[in-house]
Amino acid sequence: MTAAISVTGLSCQYRDHLALDDVSFDVQAGSITGLLGRNGAGKTTLLRILAGQEFPSAGRVLVHGAPPAENEDVLRRLVFVREDQAYPDFKVRHALRVASWFYPNWSPARADALLADFELPAGRAIKKLSRGMRSALGIVIALAAQAEITLFDEPYAGLDAVARQVFYDRLLADYAERPRTILLSTHLIDEAAGLLEGVIVIDRGRVVVKASADDLRGLATTVSGPVLSVDDFTAGRDIWDRRQVASQASAVVVGPLDEAAWARAKSLRLDLAPLTLQQLVVHAAAHPASAAPAPTVPVNPWERTSA
Amino acid sequence: MRTWRDVARYHLVVPWLFLVMPWLVLAASFAVNWQIFARHAVTAARSGDTGGLTAFYIFFLVIGINSIGRSLPFGLALGVSRRSYYTGTALLGVALALAGGLGLTALQAIERATDGWGVGMRFFRVAYILNGPWYLTWLTSFVVLALLFTYGMWYGIVFWRWGVYGVIGFIGLQAAALIVALLSVAWANAWPDLGRYFGLTAAGLTGVLAGLVLLLLAGGLATIRRATV
Amino acid sequence: MTGLDEGTPLFAQIAERLAEEIADGGLAEGERVPSMNELAAFYRINPATAAKGINLLADDGLLDKRRGIGMFVADGARRRLLAQRRERFAGRYIEPLLTEAARLGIGPDDLVALVAEAARAVPLDASGGVTV
Repeated sequence: MTAAISVTGLSCQYRDHLALDDVSFDVQAGSITGLLGRNGAGKTTLLRILAGQEFPSAGRVLVHGAPPAENEDVLRRLVFVREDQAYPDFKVRHALRVASWFYPNWSPARADALLADFELPAGRAIKKLSRGMRSALGIVIALAAQAEITLFDEPYAGLDAVARQVFYDRLLADYAERPRTILLSTHLIDEAAGLLEGVIVIDRGRVVVKASADDLRGLATTVSGPVLSVDDFTAGRDIWDRRQVASQASAVVVGPLDEAAWARAKSLRLDLAPLTLQQLVVHAAAHPASAAPAPTVPVNPWERTSA
Repeated sequence: MRTWRDVARYHLVVPWLFLVMPWLVLAASFAVNWQIFARHAVTAARSGDTGGLTAFYIFFLVIGINSIGRSLPFGLALGVSRRSYYTGTALLGVALALAGGLGLTALQAIERATDGWGVGMRFFRVAYILNGPWYLTWLTSFVVLALLFTYGMWYGIVFWRWGVYGVIGFIGLQAAALIVALLSVAWANAWPDLGRYFGLTAAGLTGVLAGLVLLLLAGGLATIRRATV
Repeated sequence: MTGLDEGTPLFAQIAERLAEEIADGGLAEGERVPSMNELAAFYRINPATAAKGINLLADDGLLDKRRGIGMFVADGARRRLLAQRRERFAGRYIEPLLTEAARLGIGPDDLVALVAEAARAVPLDASGGVTV
């Protein structure tokens, strides 16, 4: 498995703050990886460095085996969509025309189809576009470019839920047809969760979680019900959180729960709700130390139902 | 090299700013000045040069600033290295300066032939510097236009590398240097020497300016390497 | 993700749903199973995840791979799945039933009577029954 992106010990120091602190990770070629974290965590800085737009103060970055900065061989195979892309005094069609010259895999047919999907008028001046339309333009360029490495930095700012779904659907369709390495930074985690294979969580410039999405699912479960039953069930287990009101309690239990545990919970009349990716990320950001998941190796997992 | 060409095309995708505006500005300035000459029938002997060309030259400064200040972010987003972007842009600027100079030279020839456009106006002829043989006019215009374009690019580079404060500092530095130079000349009472120094011919001055252009071009390339968008 | 549970591995859920479809007869033996891209588009998930789910069943011998064409339901797959379900029937349904009944003070004999009564009231669909 080749790493399309390989980052080692990356740090980025600005005058007044450390945007990235000793970040290391690999992104598998041809996979969709989520770059998750709060606003200001360092995701944008990281992506800008990968796209050669920003320079790190320490560490090593390799994209397809070479440092991306000032390296046109790498940069031509890469497309980066930023939330705040600045354009010259162009209309939409000018931007697309120019993009077609620079991206070797550019598909005009895709560009046209996407313009229609997002109802983006080709003749409108970019500076007159709403925030959502600007985001749509970035998405059109990124998907029509069909670049081997596609980096998205919160690409849906200002897009409503319907447009966002169009984005996810088009992204999946393009990816299915032409697999590529995709790194998607987002804080709308639950929406994108189904798309992600890998997950990297950044908090305050540091990597706090690096795992596959599947390993993270089922990592923790909220157990709720009568206080005594909850305490009985959670005895001897790792717990993250425990709340109680009157005779009802709920606790977050860490670690995969096997068939027997589920049955026991049932018999104790406990309600089990596995933590969503978003909840896990929120927790991991708040408690970095506890987030390393043990890889789950389910035995005939398809036999276990959550009913 | 294909990248340089594509960068030039990028700047010219909307031809308005780089190709049309300078000539529009020139035409406007020309029209105003011609009006004055036609109305008041000023004699050639009394009139000086109109200085109306200034607008055209200044506009090259504007497109120089624009070529980096406005257009660099999307250029880099398209996967072009800073080196290539700068080189392609500079080459475009040089080409525009060459063409611009040629245009001015041609218009100057027409001015001479029509004895000042029928009203004795000296618009395209400027004493000392743009008054000689056509090839010198072309060369001098070319160098000055290229200088202004390159100088304009520098403002864009400084902005992306050091931000707004950087630009302020850049201007401040130049102002300070100018003041220091003037003061030291005054202090050393070297005005006469300065006059002698500026006894350069038009060709000589063009040579000096050409050297300055090369310096700015090289410096710009070195400085843009660490610019971030 | 359409209709999938966020908290458990998606590939496992995909495999589970395919298995149910086979067991219920929705996917007949020898019939082609939806491709990873078709499943991914339907559930709005990563194709690799869908592929993982399919491969899980294939590794277990429930699906046959035919090069260049796709995945097909293997012979005897339905039989095997139903047999597995039978084995787990007691643990999954009967034991919880007994536990709950005990909690409510319903003895085994009363329970049998309740079951008989419910069976009369609720008509069982013939297609749900299988002779193995």
